[in-house]
Amino acid sequence: MSYEVQLERGYAVVYLEGEIDMYQSPEARGAILNCLGNGHHTLVEMSAIRYIDSSGVASLVEGLQTARERDLRFALVGVSEAAMRVLQLARLDGVFTIHSSVDRAPEVK
Amino acid sequence: MENSPPTMDPASPLCGIRPSDLPAPPREAIRIVRACSDPDIDSRRLGEMITSDPVLTAELLRIANSALFGLRSRVSSAAHAVTLLGHRALRNLALCIAMRDALKGGRLPAEELDRFWESALRRAVSARALAPVANLETDECFTAGLIQDFGLLVLLWLHPERVPEWGRLTATDPEQRLELERQLFDTTHDRVGMELAKVWELPPSLADAIAFHHAPILQGLDPAHERLARVTRCADWMAALFEADDKRMVFARTLALLAECFDLVGESADGVLARVAEEIDEAAEALGMRIGDQPTLDQVLRDANLRLAEENLSFQELTWRLEQTLAERDRLAAQLERELSLAREVQCGLLPRDARLGVHGINLPAHHLSGDFYDAFPSRGGRVWFAIADVSGKGMHAALLMAKTSSLLHCLGKGITDPAALFATLNRELAEHPIRGMFVSMAGGVFDPESGEGVLVNAGHLPALQALAEGTCRQFPASGPPLGVLTGSRYTPFPFNLREGPLLLYTDGVTEARRPSGEELGIPGLRRLLRSHLRQPAGERLQAMMDEIRHCKLTTHDDLTLLLVEERHGD
Repeated sequence: MSYEVQLERGYAVVYLEGEIDMYQSPEARGAILNCLGNGHHTLVEMSAIRYIDSSGVASLVEGLQTARERDLRFALVGVSEAAMRVLQLARLDGVFTIHSSVDRAPEVK
Repeated sequence: MENSPPTMDPASPLCGIRPSDLPAPPREAIRIVRACSDPDIDSRRLGEMITSDPVLTAELLRIANSALFGLRSRVSSAAHAVTLLGHRALRNLALCIAMRDALKGGRLPAEELDRFWESALRRAVSARALAPVANLETDECFTAGLIQDFGLLVLLWLHPERVPEWGRLTATDPEQRLELERQLFDTTHDRVGMELAKVWELPPSLADAIAFHHAPILQGLDPAHERLARVTRCADWMAALFEADDKRMVFARTLALLAECFDLVGESADGVLARVAEEIDEAAEALGMRIGDQPTLDQVLRDANLRLAEENLSFQELTWRLEQTLAERDRLAAQLERELSLAREVQCGLLPRDARLGVHGINLPAHHLSGDFYDAFPSRGGRVWFAIADVSGKGMHAALLMAKTSSLLHCLGKGITDPAALFATLNRELAEHPIRGMFVSMAGGVFDPESGEGVLVNAGHLPALQALAEGTCRQFPASGPPLGVLTGSRYTPFPFNLREGPLLLYTDGVTEARRPSGEELGIPGLRRLLRSHLRQPAGERLQAMMDEIRHCKLTTHDDLTLLLVEERHGD
């Protein structure tokens, strides 16, 4: 797994790539929480995720819970088919705000 | 590392030392040295010159008759000495006397002079011991060894305030000593020695031996001079073996140098070194020098071995510490193993054991502890609760959340028979205290064993399967998110009747099991598996399915849990 963070449209966008399992998810979790901890509205770009397991999903859930606590926006964008299947099976697709791309996320003023 | 060759360039004076600063040689002795080097002088004339200085004559005869020269017949006169010894040996003898007496009674304390000459004698006898292998005369080698470091004595003579450093200088090896000299004097003894050789008009062979006993030997040097320079280089290290602190290192370097310069190895090298210790007393006596008690080579080597033993001791200590650390690691690993085994035992105790309820489960953790669990227990009105769950992640933290969820389910289920209400309560309990985003996917419900009717709820879990009589499977997919994600989640209940067929609930470790081809078992595979074992009794069927799953699983990377709920027959 690898990740990159960019500031776009008023969000910190965490671009995740590869497989996010219990060994890789701490890194993804750190990146997401770091953005939120710095007070950024955060998007997690997931178009390059080939596999995500429950510990990876837990990192996203933690991001969601943290954003709610801090009154920050948190959304998943460009979710890959593999990741979307996992989210749909667990009915988490209705829990997260999901946008098709970063450009589709409402701009933060 | 080799040092740059000393230069004779007068434009590069010895850091302020002028030739006129250097000590003047004893006039009579140096006159003999020069005369001996004159090819035109005859023996009679030389004898007369020596006899004109009775003190020098007496000293020459004493030394010539000493064991140092080992002459068979006694030398009784200067003329006799010239005949017996020859011009060169006589010159060397006179030179030794000249050097010995050059700095007497001056600025340097007598005991410091003695210390220098003791070292110089050691170099001299070392050099003489090498004479046969270098194919050189013994007196030539002896003299070269005696005077090769004379420049250091001159440096101390010029800088008497540095005399207290003498101990440090002798405790080092030749290379370190040269570096220390640079720090103390801004120059080195070989450079001073070269300057002195010019002023004192020393024979070229000896001047070259002084010049090149540290510096790289010049190409094209007279072969005999080159051999003498090698002798002095080796002699420096051989003598250091008796004085330097780090004897083991000096011993190793000396042996390497003897092998490189003269192919001396093994016993031959040891024999040469042993002679140094054996002959120094004799040489000191011959030259009238005072030296202390001398160690034998054995004693020196014992010292070196002692150092080796100390290092071995420290190595043994390291080994011992490593063994202790490994033992501690093993002890802690065993303790952890015991604790995990106990935890597993407790976790297994949370699983139901009563097969009479019509619910059969099996759980195989990927590691010691499982993040999966299943449960079945009687509730109000004779109804039976059943559930399967999977905590996000694996390991100890998942097991702890599993225990919490299992306890909550068991406790709440005793009083609540509405699965949707129970799941909503469970969800609220877990979501109110989120831990690292962990959540629990759970599918479960309640059924009446008499009628087989029941209600099932699925919170973010994989679809429950019901094997229907006509050979098809009904699926009960998730009707809400996993427990613990968000407070306020609601879950839609699904009715079912066990008379239509048994329910199979499972965790993702089962469906993600891969066939040898790499293909995942998936839900279709599990459905086929369920149908293929329908005729077996429930308990055996579950075990057979698990055996098949484990057989086709290439790598065990997740917990495996299966739960079979079926209508009770005949009880």
